[in-house]
Amino acid sequence: MFLEFFRALKEEGIPVSLKALLSLEKALEAGTVASLDDFYVVARGILIKSERYFDLYDRLFGAHFKALAVDLPRSVEARMEKLLEQWLSERSRMAGALPDGTELTPEELEEYFAARLQDQKERHDGGTRWIGTGGASPVGWGGSHPTGMRVMGRSTRLSALKVAAQRRYYDYREHRRLDPSQLGEALNRLRLLTPTGPRNRVDVEATIGATMKNGGEIEIVYSRELRDRLRVVLLIDNGGVSMDPHVGVVKALFDHARGQFKELKVGYFHNTIYDRVWLHPRRTSGAVTLEELAKEGRETRLIIVGDASLSPYELLYPDGRIQWGDRSSAPGIMELRRLRNQFPHAVWLNPVGDHLWRYTQTIGMIAAVFPMFELSLAGLEKAAAKLMER
Amino acid sequence: MKTIDQSTQYVLDPELAKMVEVSMALEMPLLLKGEPGTGKTMLAHALSRSLEMPLLVLNVKSSMKLVEALYQYDTLTRLNDSRFGDSSRDVSRIEEYIRMGKIGQAFTSDTRVVLLIDEIDKADTDFQDDMLDVLDQMQFDIMEIDKTIKAIKRPVIIITSNSKKDLSDPFLGRCNFHHIAFPDPEMMTRIVKVHFPDLDRKLMDQAVEQFYRLRTLPGVEKKPATRELINWVRALLTDPGFSRGEALKKELPFLGVLFKRSEDLFLAQTDR
Repeated sequence: MFLEFFRALKEEGIPVSLKALLSLEKALEAGTVASLDDFYVVARGILIKSERYFDLYDRLFGAHFKALAVDLPRSVEARMEKLLEQWLSERSRMAGALPDGTELTPEELEEYFAARLQDQKERHDGGTRWIGTGGASPVGWGGSHPTGMRVMGRSTRLSALKVAAQRRYYDYREHRRLDPSQLGEALNRLRLLTPTGPRNRVDVEATIGATMKNGGEIEIVYSRELRDRLRVVLLIDNGGVSMDPHVGVVKALFDHARGQFKELKVGYFHNTIYDRVWLHPRRTSGAVTLEELAKEGRETRLIIVGDASLSPYELLYPDGRIQWGDRSSAPGIMELRRLRNQFPHAVWLNPVGDHLWRYTQTIGMIAAVFPMFELSLAGLEKAAAKLMER
Repeated sequence: MKTIDQSTQYVLDPELAKMVEVSMALEMPLLLKGEPGTGKTMLAHALSRSLEMPLLVLNVKSSMKLVEALYQYDTLTRLNDSRFGDSSRDVSRIEEYIRMGKIGQAFTSDTRVVLLIDEIDKADTDFQDDMLDVLDQMQFDIMEIDKTIKAIKRPVIIITSNSKKDLSDPFLGRCNFHHIAFPDPEMMTRIVKVHFPDLDRKLMDQAVEQFYRLRTLPGVEKKPATRELINWVRALLTDPGFSRGEALKKELPFLGVLFKRSEDLFLAQTDR
């Protein structure tokens, strides 16, 4: 049972080492684990080395040490209904804990719930055991506050299974969408976008210092050759409600990082890029054609932020544009390829989590043109590395 | 093994207490992460008090070399002594000019100590990995005198990291890991109570409630943590107008204690 749990952790992609497993055995032998509650804490502390995996651990723990399984009907619909009912019965509590504290209508709740269930299913192939926990976890999620604290203080200590079901670490998941509280961390990732030259300049002052320290024996210190800072073009999809929460974060992030770049140009578009982008967020003035954009030069880094979720028609059909101002008659995807060819160093950041990409046709089509990364800390790091490739 | 008592100015979360116990049993360092201001450093202080072991703190700096944490060979004093010869030290014995760094002191101490390695994420990866080698083997060499220092009593090692970025795999492989979750309001009330035993009940409830509300203000970048709340309560107590009762319902003073970024402060001030 023990090994099975270990294997389950590994299969879900948590890096657990054999050495850690042996440490856990040692801890068990040392008699420090007296109950399942203890085991929950100790196994987590020894096996899992990052809070990013705590949420996954919680779910696997719950699934593995069953007990949580709710008696559920067989069909997915019926199951959903039952879970929804259960969820709605605690509605006032749940609604208070939802992202911005807005009161949701039952329809919105249902939609939200369906999305959660979808989440669970695709990661776990809908095994009945899993759904059992899945049913409890949205409630657990609802019970935990967006800021990573529990909303309802309880006076008694909860059993490990209940603690696991609370999903307290939901916010620390690796694939959490970038939000304002992570700006500092995100900036650190962007720091990768600083070119460094080879160490081939003799630093005379440092050489003198080192030589003196070395008792007169010559010690030459090299420093890095100076490289010019990067020019960056940032294009943001600010059309449509789906992008609204992300525009501010991305804008703030690059505003903070502005000093790091030689030049930062920000443009806006709606859904996809045709022959021009706008420098003004309202997209009524300051149009820049792709030809003009290309003058930035091939060394300029292009970063596009958008959900890439649009009607395939807009992308494939000539004149598919939905905005009157666009005069291009080439299909959107052609324009994107053209843009890509002008900027060898380009990435696309997508606020849609990458596990959901395969459900939207146009995401796949655009990802074939631009290297696409999700708009999360992990994605940002990979995107920055990609931009620095030669 | 002595149990850890929860009285001394630090409210120990039971999960964390368990991990400390296990780490001591396995003789492995315990790596603590969590939001700044949630008491990572405080734990080591509390631990040293309740275990009655002296505390040694190694504050890691970005420019630090591992050898500085182990020992230092004081060449300057030796040069000075050899020129002026007015000290009681024997210049020909290099050993007299070796000074132990924090890790060295922890190893050479006759009593078991708590060694806190604070903010390990500041140093580069090489430092981190090399340090773990030393802590794994519980010994290091002093090159100048060709001597090996072995730990007399294995110290209890607590390592803290502020970064959300992961440390290297070999490093993580040798530590146990605990993430200090942000306390819930009930836990927070207990923490505040430990710091201010005589605090007015109404003020306490109000302060905690307002604190959690302010933390969730949309757009705030640097959220106030436990440390800020404690300081805020301290500030409130200095003002007779706010030191008791429900005055906080009308007005929130000293917001600058909670919010350190001017944009955040502005958000909080204009909130109501």
